[in-house]
This record gives sequence, C-alpha cells and structure tokens, in this order.
Amino acid sequence: MIQVQDVNHTFLIGKKGKEKKVPVLKGLSFEVEQGEIVAIVGKSGSGKSTLLHTIAGFMSPEQGSITVNGQETADLNETERAQFRLNNFGFIFQNFQLMPGLTAFENIELPLKIKGVSTKKRKASVKQLLQKVGLEEVADHYPNELSGGQQQRVSIARALITNPPILFADEPTGSLDSETEQDILLLIQDLNQGLGVTFVIITHDEEVASIAHRKFKMHDGELVKGGAPYAI
Amino acid sequence: MLFKDQVDFVRQHIKKNKLRVFMTVLAATMGCAFLIVLASIGFGIQDTMREEILQDKAITEVEVYPNADEELDVSQIRSIEHVDAIVQRFNLNAMANSQIEDRSLQGNIFLTNFDEEQKSNLQLSEGRMPEKDNEIIVGYQFAESLLTDSERKEMEQNAEENAESTGGYKDSIIGKTISLSLQSYEAEEAFSERWNFTIVGVTENPARDWIIDTKVMVNESWKDKFKEVIVSNTETEVVEAELFYPETKIYTSSLEHVKSVTEELKEKGYNVYSVSEQLEQIDVFFMAFKIGLIFIGTIAVLISSIGIFNTMTMAVTERTREIGVMKAIGASPKLIQRLFLMESAWIGIIGTVLAVVISYAVSFLANWVLPMVVGAALGDEDIQNLSITFSLIPWQLVAIASFISVGVAMISGWRPARKATKIDVIDALRQEL
Repeated sequence: MIQVQDVNHTFLIGKKGKEKKVPVLKGLSFEVEQGEIVAIVGKSGSGKSTLLHTIAGFMSPEQGSITVNGQETADLNETERAQFRLNNFGFIFQNFQLMPGLTAFENIELPLKIKGVSTKKRKASVKQLLQKVGLEEVADHYPNELSGGQQQRVSIARALITNPPILFADEPTGSLDSETEQDILLLIQDLNQGLGVTFVIITHDEEVASIAHRKFKMHDGELVKGGAPYAI
Repeated sequence: MLFKDQVDFVRQHIKKNKLRVFMTVLAATMGCAFLIVLASIGFGIQDTMREEILQDKAITEVEVYPNADEELDVSQIRSIEHVDAIVQRFNLNAMANSQIEDRSLQGNIFLTNFDEEQKSNLQLSEGRMPEKDNEIIVGYQFAESLLTDSERKEMEQNAEENAESTGGYKDSIIGKTISLSLQSYEAEEAFSERWNFTIVGVTENPARDWIIDTKVMVNESWKDKFKEVIVSNTETEVVEAELFYPETKIYTSSLEHVKSVTEELKEKGYNVYSVSEQLEQIDVFFMAFKIGLIFIGTIAVLISSIGIFNTMTMAVTERTREIGVMKAIGASPKLIQRLFLMESAWIGIIGTVLAVVISYAVSFLANWVLPMVVGAALGDEDIQNLSITFSLIPWQLVAIASFISVGVAMISGWRPARKATKIDVIDALRQEL
C-alpha cells in the first residue's frame, strides 16, 4: 500500500548565507500493508513527523521514492497532490485542527464539501458517522464547546468521512488525558477492524504504539534498533 | 466544491468579520458612488446640450445653402439616396396683413410645398395639412396675436407697465377665413389686393419660450400672384432674388443616413448644416470629458481598493491555520484562491450595488435641488422651470462603473488570494490555536 524507498531529506538551518544542512531523514525504506496499524515511534526531533509529512505529500523528499497505492507522489503537482490526499488520506492531528467557526457536524462535512458531494448525500454520511463515533448529541456544538476527547472524535470522523484507505495520525492522543486516550485508541482499533482502514500513527507514547501491528522506531532520521536500522 | 458551498463558505467568513467587511464595503461604495456621480455630471451636461440643440430641430434635418449667385438644383438633390423630403420655404420680402372680423395682425409669410412639408413630418398642434390652394397653416401664436385696435392700444400701454396681454382671438382658429393682403416693409399702407384664405392647421408651439410664431404658410402656387402684386405696387425695379428668401431643408429617411447625405451635398458644392454634425462634435468633446471624469473617479475606486487589499491580506493572515487544514485535507490551491477571490468580489459587488443605488438617489436630489439653489442664488425663478439636467446616469455608466469597481476589487484581492495558495501546510498546522 505504502512503499518508502531510500528516502533522504535535509533541512537548512541558520541565518541566510550561513545556512547549515541538517539531515532529517536518512535512507529510510519500509512498507505498510493494507489494513495494518503501523506506529512510528521516536523521541522529539527524531524525524518521525517529517517522515509523515513526506508520505502525506506535504513536502517532497530530496531523494528516494514514496509510492502510495502504486502512485509515485513526487510525480504529482500541487493540485493533483491535493486531489490525491482528498481521495486516499485522512488526517488526525494532535491538536485536532478543527475549524473554530464550524460546528462538529460542519467540520466533519468539510472534506465532502471540498469533494463536491451533494448536500443530501453529505448529510446522510455525516449523520451515520456521528453515530459511529458517538457524537450525535454534540453535532451542533462548536469546537470550543467540546471536550478534548470529543474534539478528537470529530477530527477522526472528519478524517474518515471520505472513506480513505489510509489514515495518518500525528500524536493522536497527545492532548488527551489517559482515560480519553484509551477511548480514542479503542476507536482506532474498532475502525481498523471494522472498516479495514490502514493507520499510520506517529507517536512518542509506547502505549499508543502498543495497538499497532508493527512498530518502526526512529532515531536521528533513521529507523533503528540498538543503533542499526530495523523494523519490528 | 459546489458553487453553492463556495458561496456559503465566503458568507460564513464575512459574517465572522462583520465590522471589518462593512467598513471595506463602505469604502468600495464611496469610491464607486464618487465615480458614478462625477461622471454623471458629464452625461447630464451633454444631455442638456443635446436637448437644447434638438429642441426645435429634427435630427434628420439638413439645412442647405447654395453659394452666392447660385441656385439649388432640387432635382439633383432629390436624386441623392435616402433623401425623403426637400422643403423649400420662401420667405416673402413683405409683411402679411391678416384680418379676421375686427382683428388684424402683421407677420411673416412663407410660401411652401405642403406635400413636401407633410413628407418632412411637419407637426401640427391642431388641424390638418392644406389640400386646396386657399388653405393655409398659421403659427401657434397667430390667434393670440390677432388684436383689435383697442386691444393693441391696451397692450402697448401694458407693455410699458410690464403687464401681461389679455387680448387675442379666443375661439378655435381652425376653419376660420382670414382676409390677407401684403404690405411692403417701407410702406405705411397695405396693398389694395386682398385674398381670402381658410386656416386649416396650426403649427406646434415653438420649443423656445421666447419665440412668438405668427407666421402664415401659403401654398407655393401663390408665388407668381404675390410677385405680380408687389411689382405692380412698387415703383422701383424688383429683383426676384430679393423678393423671396429661400430656406431649404432636406429630411433624410433616418438618422444614420444624415452623414452620407451631408457628405454628398458637400461634394456637390453646397453649404450644409445639420444638427447631427453639431451633435457629433459635441459628442466627441463630451466623450473626452466623460473619460476624464471617469478617470478621476477611478482614482477614488483605486484608493478604496487599498482597503480591500488590507482586509483580504488580514483575512489570509488570520486564516493561515484554516487554509493549512483545508489544504491538508484535500483543498486544491485553485479552490483556496477562488474562495478568497470570491470574497473580494463579494465586497466589490455589494459595494457597487450600494453605490449605484446611492448614486441614483444623489443624482435625483441634485436634479431636484440644484435648479432651486441656482435659481435662488441668481435670483431668477425661471431657471427652475428650465429642463437642465445636472446629473444623468445612463445604464452604460452603471455598466462601466460596475466593471471598474468589481474589477479593481478582484485585482486587489488577487494578491492576498495568491498568498493563500502559497501557504505551507506544515507551517500552517504548527500555528498556535
């Protein structure tokens, strides 16, 4: 489903004219199978978020290739990449990234609006999904009227509304208390088993990583175990 | 994204920043209204001048004068394409002495061909065109100028006291028979020959208030008889050219042919004057004048566009995170750009609509109040009754102003919209909530 081959990337750090090249991804190669939950774990600054951004097409790696469902993402222009994301990816962010001016219902509806789905179909899909994530009661609430757990559920529902085959979750429980964290993790597992959605989870939390079928540990831009590149 | 949803999206954002958007719309409205009102003065003055020129002249009318010592070749003129009628009126170099009952009047007398007059669409206020030789048409003020001797004396007295005349023939003059004799300008008495004519038509009231039309229009077949009478009553030798002053007007079938007929007449060596020629010159002048006014007005629109640019730039900056999220979940840069352009266009459109409404109100008020103000300032109440258009807003002006206003609004929104498309998703998502 996702093939990452020999991906390298560097950031330029420092003042203009005195920039320093800092490698953030060093020859990464791995694959993610359909229906898997894959966790990419590592400390802050290990390069796991950059890896997610390159796979999601927010940035292009300097070297190497990333293929999703047979499509080389680097071959797509910005518009095509946006369309590709709309059809193939869903995103769950640490700080939920909900639109503050939209209700829970409208936030979930947003990707379908972007896709150009008719109002009638949209309403039906959102209602169904609200039921699935247990948010019917708060559908008309704005994000600031919701708890952290509810906001993350809205975020998950928004990611799922277009039925994407792959969901990226960047520290999905980072802003939640431990009880709510368990609820969200259970929901992710349910969705993976019930809908067959592939999850790529970026986390520094081993407990979150524990729900994954496979874990990749990152350190200084490399996949490592005891200093050597590895995948469990 | 469906168009309806795009509109909804823009509407939601506008609702969130009501005051700021209102102020921007207000600036756009003021700029556009200034443009329309300013240019409307040009349109108004042009309209007034056109009205003034066209007041008593037909637009299809071409006046023709032969060169000195030359005569008009009517058959040659008639052969020109699109010439509908050639009206040759001969002003007799003698006064017409008209009498009806105990009333009389001295006025001008014209000899004309009534068939051609009819073709030229001569308008009558009442009656019909003459069909017989002894049927005539008189001027609009003919009846009211027919005075008895006592009325004339009274009028002369009133004239000294500046009072209004109360005399004149009160009944309808149509069908009445007048006794007409000719009188030389030099002589004190009219010639002894008299003819009876039946009045069958009265011309329209002249458009200019100061003209008093008391003329008598007689069929041209009387030309020889009149000449004979004048010659027999004059001791000195009479030159025919000095007896009848011709006034030739050509009427074309429509306005678009005036130019070609005028040019052909010029080619044939005639001196020509047509209203359309004068109007053309006026139109050229006013075109330049209006372009100048629109240009000045556009500067106001450009100043207001700075407001739109600011508002949109702030909107993009404030919504960086939202734009980032939208891009992350699949909104294309084109869609982001379109949404922001729609927002600036919305400001431009609402501003323009309000400006058009306000401009019409200002224009109406100006045309209503300004004549009173000018009249009061000049101490002349009559100025209020004159049809002076101070401001006129034709649909073309509305179209031009709308195009400029909405266009400038979209151009000023274009850069912020482009900026929105360039927002980096990763940076945007990192922004603090």
